[in-house]
Amino acid sequence: MNQEEQIEAREHRAVSVELIIEIQQFLYREARLLDGEHLHEWLELLADDIHYWVPGVQARYRKDDARFSPTRMAFFDDDLEYLKIRVARAKQPSAWAEDPPTRHFHLVSNIEVEATDNPTEWTVHSLILNNRHRTEDDEMELKARRVDLIRRNEDGCLKLARRKVTLLETVLQAKNINTFL
Amino acid sequence: MPNLSMKADDKMKLAAKISDFVDAEEGYIDRRIFWDDAIYLLELERIFARCWIFVAHDSQLPEVGDFITTTIGEDAVIVSRGEDGKIHTFLNSCSHRGNRVCFAEVGKTRRFTCNFHGWSYGLDGSLKSVSLPKSYDGRSNFDKAQLGLHQARVESYKGMHFACFDPDAPTLEEYLGDFRWYLDVILDNDEGGIEFIDGNIKSRLKCNWKFPAENFVGDSYHAPWTHSSALIAMFGKSPNIRPERSYHANANGHGWEGGLDFIGNAATLKSPQILEYLREQEAKFAERLGKARSRMVASLSSANVFPNLSYLAGHNTFRTWNPKGPKETELHTWVFLNANAPEELKEEYRRGVMLTFSPAGVFEMDDGENFENCTAVNAGVVTRRQKLHAGMGLDSGIEHEELKGNVYQSQINEANQRAFYQRWADLMSAETWADVPAR
Repeated sequence: MNQEEQIEAREHRAVSVELIIEIQQFLYREARLLDGEHLHEWLELLADDIHYWVPGVQARYRKDDARFSPTRMAFFDDDLEYLKIRVARAKQPSAWAEDPPTRHFHLVSNIEVEATDNPTEWTVHSLILNNRHRTEDDEMELKARRVDLIRRNEDGCLKLARRKVTLLETVLQAKNINTFL
Repeated sequence: MPNLSMKADDKMKLAAKISDFVDAEEGYIDRRIFWDDAIYLLELERIFARCWIFVAHDSQLPEVGDFITTTIGEDAVIVSRGEDGKIHTFLNSCSHRGNRVCFAEVGKTRRFTCNFHGWSYGLDGSLKSVSLPKSYDGRSNFDKAQLGLHQARVESYKGMHFACFDPDAPTLEEYLGDFRWYLDVILDNDEGGIEFIDGNIKSRLKCNWKFPAENFVGDSYHAPWTHSSALIAMFGKSPNIRPERSYHANANGHGWEGGLDFIGNAATLKSPQILEYLREQEAKFAERLGKARSRMVASLSSANVFPNLSYLAGHNTFRTWNPKGPKETELHTWVFLNANAPEELKEEYRRGVMLTFSPAGVFEMDDGENFENCTAVNAGVVTRRQKLHAGMGLDSGIEHEELKGNVYQSQINEANQRAFYQRWADLMSAETWADVPAR
């Protein structure tokens, strides 16, 4: 690519400041809904064809390029139906382990918005830190890198259409993941 | 981490007291076995360095050079497919200064080479080369043949590879005993046997390893209560457990609890394709296994191979509970299916287990919380003095014309948990395998 082509490509891919802020606000709002366990409202942020994927992470040698595989075991590899089952379980009065509730925050950072070939979809990179407290002294932290596909629907709303969450740990340093990342 | 050493006479004194901690006749368990560092150290020696421990399924290591790393007790090991085509298991610790020789958890290689001084080992653990080998020329006791990585015995049962560090241990077949009859329900309901799906989800629980192991060996009792939220979310109600058509059965501390309802566990996977496959195969299962066992292939059930290999028929998941101190356990989870099952069922099982029995699964999520709290409360000295009750079904033993091993009526029972702790106490008290009674 020569310099002119590079400039043209960059302009084509340019994303407005307004859009970046809108997407940031979308992700912050999502994080706040998860913090507060407003899971039914969280589901409304998802596109009908959502693919929510938290693959298992393996420590492999550099020469081994099979770090991830879509057919390998995962923590989440969900469509909307699966996500709704998880929410339904969390919201049952007999979810004993969720009462008293977990105290969460989801910290979102390093948000980077990239245009895609589709003018109503953007690839969005971010980092997520989820800090959880339960009982008196039970503290767990989940740290991950996210790549999202965020889409603007016909009605103008932003929706989360794809998410890949890559945890840093190969051995989950927690008994469970009782939230979304 | 506890100090991993123990004086010989302290060990003898502790071993002599072990029977005080487990009353398998009346069903009382002393909480000491869940928190005491000295007991934990003795477990590493007398349970994990002595028993047959599951390390890999054959399908995980299909080709020469394929390897995984895992632990036996707290001993890090490499499990690899050697040039002889056989599975080898040996310590992941260099004979020179003890560094790890493999840092990946899975992969393919020709050599395991230490980062420190370049000592390099073959797929069978033998020492092949070192850096600057001439430095060892002359009057030296350097003998490569003597400096390979310490080997475990490896034996297999229908594709499941187990390793054992005790040369005096019985053979794997003897060790499994009558429990093979129950394992066959999973491993041999089809002529192709099973295969593992790629991947291994691992997680850490702040619990003693025995709480989850005993949960799988016999605790159907917890299912309708602990898992109420998931059952209601998926089905609107709890399952119907039928005491007259369900059992506890155990042999040598291994145990299966379950019903003859055929598909109770599989039904929670939310996959019509899986249920259709099972129903299509039912007659074939019965041909291979007989009527009773064919009804266990995916039934409401759970099981544990002593000490730490648990599985769920129907959900098709194996898992191991790897001790990391008396208050911490590393869970390794796999998904399996019949090797001859239609290819599309792989996705059904992989996603179904993920939804139900993985750290984010709607069932398993509640279990970890229980196991951790059962462990953590033992910080209190008065709490520690209170024995735990495990006395359900004391008089439930029956003779059954088909079921093997020690059989008890009703899966709502604690007979298998008592047998698990009895086996634990037998091994912990015994100085050698010769002193361990068959159960």
